[in-house]
Amino acid sequence: MPVVGLGPHGERASPPERVTLLPQDIADARAKNLRVAIVMHTLESDWSRHLVQGVVGQLGECGAIVIDVVDCHFSPEAQIAALDRLRGEKPDAIISLPVDNTTVTEAHLAVSAAGIKLVLIDNAPTGMLPGKDYASLVSADNYGLGKIAAELLSDHLPSGAAVGLLAYDADFFASNEREIAFSQWMEINRLDVAVKTARFSSIDSAGPEAIRLIDDEADIAGLFVVWDTPCVEVIKAISARDKALPISTVDLGQEVITNLAKGGSVIGIAGQRPFQQGEAVAKTTITALLDRPCPDWVALPGLSVTRSNVIESYQYVWRKPAPRDILIGLDVLHSS
Amino acid sequence: MLSETAATNQTRTKGRPRNSESAAASLVDVLNLVRLGHATTRQELERVGEYGRAIVADRLATLKDLRLVHESATGIATGGRAPRLVQFASDRARLIVVTLDQSAVGVGLSDLHGILLSEHHEMIEITDQKATVDRICALINWMMTRQADAPDLWGISIAVPGPVLTDPDSQYLLETPDFLPNWDRSGLVETLIQRFQAPVWMRSNVETMTMGELHGGAGIGQQSMLFVKIGQRIGAGLVSNGHTYHGAAGAVGLIGHLPVTFNGSTGSLDAMAGAEMIKTRGFAAAQSGESAHLADTLARSGEISAIDVCQAAQVGDEVSAEIVAQSGRLIGGVVATLANMLNPQLIVLAGSIAQTNDILLASIRETVYGASHPLVTRDLRILRSQMSSSAALLGAAKTAAEALFEPTFLKDWITLGSPCLNPAFLQAQASLDAIKPQSDEGPPPPPEI
Repeated sequence: MPVVGLGPHGERASPPERVTLLPQDIADARAKNLRVAIVMHTLESDWSRHLVQGVVGQLGECGAIVIDVVDCHFSPEAQIAALDRLRGEKPDAIISLPVDNTTVTEAHLAVSAAGIKLVLIDNAPTGMLPGKDYASLVSADNYGLGKIAAELLSDHLPSGAAVGLLAYDADFFASNEREIAFSQWMEINRLDVAVKTARFSSIDSAGPEAIRLIDDEADIAGLFVVWDTPCVEVIKAISARDKALPISTVDLGQEVITNLAKGGSVIGIAGQRPFQQGEAVAKTTITALLDRPCPDWVALPGLSVTRSNVIESYQYVWRKPAPRDILIGLDVLHSS
Repeated sequence: MLSETAATNQTRTKGRPRNSESAAASLVDVLNLVRLGHATTRQELERVGEYGRAIVADRLATLKDLRLVHESATGIATGGRAPRLVQFASDRARLIVVTLDQSAVGVGLSDLHGILLSEHHEMIEITDQKATVDRICALINWMMTRQADAPDLWGISIAVPGPVLTDPDSQYLLETPDFLPNWDRSGLVETLIQRFQAPVWMRSNVETMTMGELHGGAGIGQQSMLFVKIGQRIGAGLVSNGHTYHGAAGAVGLIGHLPVTFNGSTGSLDAMAGAEMIKTRGFAAAQSGESAHLADTLARSGEISAIDVCQAAQVGDEVSAEIVAQSGRLIGGVVATLANMLNPQLIVLAGSIAQTNDILLASIRETVYGASHPLVTRDLRILRSQMSSSAALLGAAKTAAEALFEPTFLKDWITLGSPCLNPAFLQAQASLDAIKPQSDEGPPPPPEI
């Protein structure tokens, strides 16, 4: 599947193969005794944990020591404090997922100004430039993910229906791209469908916002939630109302993938490949630390996941067999 | 223009009759002195502007009522009480900026200083004019609804992929210029004015990218810079004495029209070295099997783009590398001629082809250094832009900020508190509303690009 989106500055995507490491590169990296810190927006989601696993494993292969993995709990203040503290540790590189587009900019710029290589994941604060303020941005093709989610949901929307879009209230590259792409796909391919948008500012508020949207717009016949963790909250809130709406989302988190496999309200997922993305992040970091040119934006295409391919997608993303209850739910395992 | 106003005030001698002390004129002066950072306290306004204390107090009170300045911060004390800082309220309203390219559109939001706050870019086929205009409107709507407090919109500035010929006496546009064939029939400018009730400005994207690079990229602090954009078309922008050069009619830098020769064939630089040539030669190499890499790409996706060829070159495909290098040699020859003429400190290469490829950069560098006088290349740096399409958005934002606060235009709206309330603009808007928008009459024929 090709990458259909553009980067935060309009860059064309480079495939992860552009940062392939040769045996000599790995030997050179090992000789440098590198130290790297990782600053994540959250470590609560399955996506984050898989991505960090990919980063840490690949860095380990290159002999680079991970000195810290910070969970910022989506807090700009926590991220600024973490970056300021880690700067004092003088690592060779910091890998960071900026939690927003404005308030954490200065803290990230200070990292680069201190001579520490900065590699970004999924978001580049406005005004920061690749090659100057950071080495590279590595993300999924979030625009493509939004289109996949729209296409999956469309099959479940009757003619003339409305669809609810649960978007993230922060100005954040990845979630903005998904939201815009979802709406655009509907505008082009489902002229009969009206898109009604509500925004949540935190995971906890996603459920109440979904209920408010459904109460305000009685003709809503389906929902798209821009990633899986808030989607779980939306599913809980709707279930409590005895409502049944088809839902699509992004990321193959354990709860939404189980819901999909068991024939729940989740009818399709636009899947990211966090482990592979993490490996690409690590390879990009090593490339930068070897003072070789990095692509401005490395992007990985998404996966379209439905009940029909959920098991192999689970194995691909989670790197382990699907749980028994998923296999039983899909009738591929009959003994309980 | 604005700095000239400030300079005039700075050189004026005391006692000389003031012809700018009418309320609106001095209001304009005071605002621009504050906005451009020439004066940051009341005392500096009195000294730099040569206004009396009462006039400064009165004008600042008016500007504060209009929410154009504030005095909420204090400066550094130099003996005695710390002075209150007079600061421009750049958050008073927002500017929308748009960049339109042959294959992509970008929309951003800036403050009144022209600083980008948010941006989004996506692929688009601009051959469908109506779909393009609708998409721009949809993205502007999205950008504005994302703002928490529904800020006022004071202008829309657009960068387009062609020269923009406008009346130098016009303060803003009322109709779409013919920046590409048939685009004067697209209704782009007319639709934006009608939907968003704000003035619209337009420049070529080479010019805005040059301005953006000067203010936010490799060009910061540079006095002379040559900017070359390489995509389907190849254009150039020039910075001289720290300012972008607009040309007599806004048609500066159309170097893609220059004839070049390769293998006995002569054609324009656009045709012989632009993205279309790279795509065509790449497609031929894929079809013939000369490049196994491109043949594989063709088999998988059914097409070959110029970007595919550039990326194949980057990962070591020799045929693709030679196609791109040849393009670089032809572009380098033209750029060397410009460099010998202009002696720039810096040459910045940008555009989708330059952005995805180091081989092109190397080939251009080699040609320019080889074909230029040693004095020209002694301190010359040739870099790839790091800004991508953000350069065009930033340049468009600077264009709008300059136009909005240009003293003649500013004088027309400052006492009304908004450029959108300017009677001439309201009248023009009413005239547009009275006629059926061209964009509703169905899509015009596709442009011959």
